[in-house]
Amino acid sequence: MSPQRFLLGAASVVTFLLLQVTVVGRLPLPGAAPDLLLVLVLAFGLAEGSMAGMVTGFAAGMLADGLSAHEMGRLAFAYALGGYVAGTFSDDADRSTLQPFAAVGFGALAALGAFVGEGILLGDHRLTVHAVLRTAISSVPYDVVLTPFVVPLIAGLVRRLDADPLRRL
Amino acid sequence: MRDNRRLRLTLVLLLLTAFTLTALDYNSARTGPLAALRRGIDTIFGPVTNAVGSGASAVGNALGGLPRLGSYQSENKKLKQENDRLRGVLAAQSGAQCQLDQFLALQHFTDVTKISPVSAKVVAVGASPQFEWTATLNVGSLDGIKPDMTVVQGVWLVGRTTQVQKRSSQVLLLADPDFTVGGTLVGQNTVGLASGRGSKPMTFSLPSTKLPVKKGTVLLTTGSDTYAPGVPIGTVTSVTPDTNAISRTATVVPFVDVTALDVVGVITQPPRTAPVQPLVPRAPGASPTSTPCAPAIPHGPVPTQTPYVSPAPKPVVTASPTTTPTP
Repeated sequence: MSPQRFLLGAASVVTFLLLQVTVVGRLPLPGAAPDLLLVLVLAFGLAEGSMAGMVTGFAAGMLADGLSAHEMGRLAFAYALGGYVAGTFSDDADRSTLQPFAAVGFGALAALGAFVGEGILLGDHRLTVHAVLRTAISSVPYDVVLTPFVVPLIAGLVRRLDADPLRRL
Repeated sequence: MRDNRRLRLTLVLLLLTAFTLTALDYNSARTGPLAALRRGIDTIFGPVTNAVGSGASAVGNALGGLPRLGSYQSENKKLKQENDRLRGVLAAQSGAQCQLDQFLALQHFTDVTKISPVSAKVVAVGASPQFEWTATLNVGSLDGIKPDMTVVQGVWLVGRTTQVQKRSSQVLLLADPDFTVGGTLVGQNTVGLASGRGSKPMTFSLPSTKLPVKKGTVLLTTGSDTYAPGVPIGTVTSVTPDTNAISRTATVVPFVDVTALDVVGVITQPPRTAPVQPLVPRAPGASPTSTPCAPAIPHGPVPTQTPYVSPAPKPVVTASPTTTPTP
């Protein structure tokens, strides 16, 4: 990994996290707010594969955990799995238009499932059926809607930085 | 193939690391081994969030207003109807003592408002707003903020501070399922617990089936080490009879909309004139609310061990129009 690539990852994670906590999380949308940082992680997974997805996910999740009320490591767990799942979509030979949407949708669902599963294991009483369903039917679709804005941006930045497409992480 | 195995191994390692960190942090978020890491992240992000959030909240508010534009008209209509309804309720309310009690409860709160709260701006929300209701304020220990202080908007309860950095602090909002506050219904000397339920209204559970809980009653904070006394929380909208016959549960809609907070106040000095008092048994006859509000409290033997809160220290009711709290 080149220093430039590391800088791109760090700068985009910090920027998106700040956008998430100051603007996106406060939008009075019906249902639960979208998770911009998760979409970024999934976009990295989609652009560069599972390894980049899960490493970015772990790092971004740890930072987000520090700005949340729950235990450290829970979003890192969820985002790492989400990034891995999104990365499996990057290997497909035939890239259709719907593929990024599918990657973000399934990645977001995987991350939600991981977060909820670990939360149930820990006995988190915040995870009621109502809250989980509300997130699944509002936050996850919002994430999919953000796909055409975030995924091409990250793919373009990564391509620009990495002129040689064979050299991956 | 080898690549795939390496990927899976890395995934398992990352997941295990994350889970180990969670286990280390479990139940010891403020003192545990990872508290320093959390504080570090908060300290680094605090000033940046303040700077970005102050500007971004204007953008966010502008953006946030958009989806609501259509609803303003209907809201106006709804408020007018609500106003008429409330007037009717007020007119229908017999028993001047009840009104006096409500007035005293509000007057009581001016004790809180006299000590002007530190005003603060909400600059950010938590990083996982799907399940947690927290906010970040642009004031911190340098402004006299400490953990576990009451946060209000106008006169209404918003939440309490949890973690405090030098220039920023986190607030646990009353909608969060982790949020619990002792509450007293206006005109009744009972103490129950109000807790947040996320996007749904709060619940208020009362450890007694004798006292009637009426729709429309205002719930105030009881006052504790954390919460200033007499801060209005919300209004009772429905009562569900519990099957266990030892408690009742009511739904309470908070006065504040925690998803649309901007300027809030932190009560750094709980009112000196209303100190936290222990729960002392009090005969029901002595209560000024018991006689005129006849249906409010049933006559009959009331066990002395029933927790009755001591009368809230009432300020001298001098007719001074300047101290009327404006919500």
